[in-house]
Amino acid sequence: MAHTSRNSTLPGGVPKLSRSAVYKKRALYKRKKVATVPAVKEVALTKTKTVAGEKNGGTRTVPVQKSPRFYPTEDCKTPLKNRRVVKPTKLRGSIVPGSVVILLAGSHRGKRVVVLKQLPSGLLLVTGPYKINGVPLRRVDQTYVIATSTKVELPALPAIGDEIFKRKGKPTKNEKEMFVDNAGDNSYKISAEKVALQKEIDALVVPAVKKVDMLQSYLRSRFTLTKGQFPHEMKF
Amino acid sequence: MLYKRYIEIGRVCFIRLGDDIGKYGVIVDLVDQKHLLVDGPDGIGRKVVRLNQVALTDIKINIPRGCKTKTVRTAMAKEGVEAKLAATSLVKKFAAKNAKAQLGDFARFKNRVAKTASNRKIRSTVRKLKKSS
Repeated sequence: MAHTSRNSTLPGGVPKLSRSAVYKKRALYKRKKVATVPAVKEVALTKTKTVAGEKNGGTRTVPVQKSPRFYPTEDCKTPLKNRRVVKPTKLRGSIVPGSVVILLAGSHRGKRVVVLKQLPSGLLLVTGPYKINGVPLRRVDQTYVIATSTKVELPALPAIGDEIFKRKGKPTKNEKEMFVDNAGDNSYKISAEKVALQKEIDALVVPAVKKVDMLQSYLRSRFTLTKGQFPHEMKF
Repeated sequence: MLYKRYIEIGRVCFIRLGDDIGKYGVIVDLVDQKHLLVDGPDGIGRKVVRLNQVALTDIKINIPRGCKTKTVRTAMAKEGVEAKLAATSLVKKFAAKNAKAQLGDFARFKNRVAKTASNRKIRSTVRKLKKSS
């Protein structure tokens, strides 16, 4: 069992204890040195391979790791290892699954929507619900949102990830079709899978909304500022 | 008499601006033309406030000038200053304004809906009365 260092460094990189002081501290002369030598695994360097052909000697010893066929002209430094751990963005304390939130940007700006959860990408998964205010299952960044103190008690929802929101890229054109205008219908069409998922989610969220008095009409209305109202002075 | 509430020793004043907003104290001494020495319960203690931070109330208690905090507090308790103050319209209005500011977005929405509904009712009743008269 290894012990932590019995010495420490003083500012300036100077070790605190001298060699003899550390020797005294270690007191190895008082203990039995139990050095556990890890068993050395015998790794084979060569292996024998059977070779076909009558006149080829039947077998051949071949090194397990072949030497490289190619060496670069100059030795390049290997870049440092990237140890970055990707975590979803830290969610504001005021945003919780079920909290009602005001969208600040986009076509749905001013609408009040229900937050379902935070996706692994860090974005908030939000829904109107679609039946109430026309906001579908949508991803929204928490910085484009004002969190209100109102919360809806959501039942257990099916698992949703970022995958369904991925848009299919434009099909790459090959040489022949490079200059052919295939503009046609490149507009985004909602997949049937999304429509079905929306219906499923709405069926769970809408009853939870209806339980609270006036919450449905609240979600239908848009947030506006009137004279004398300043968002930094208002409580949400 | 134009003025009924004077700046005098023992006048209870309500602090309407600054760090101690919402608290009250008793004028214990005058510092200069624009500053008062005020003493109140635990929340405020004894401190100098500006005249414009303060709103005078109708309540006045009997204390000698510059008396100790203990004297002030016993005199306030004897007169029941806190209860009298809570009954004043000044404090009531302040509390109402504060409560409104603390409302969340949903509460504001509900208030607005209720207000428009009641306004509609009022207008329709007025119209009916006008028609009948």
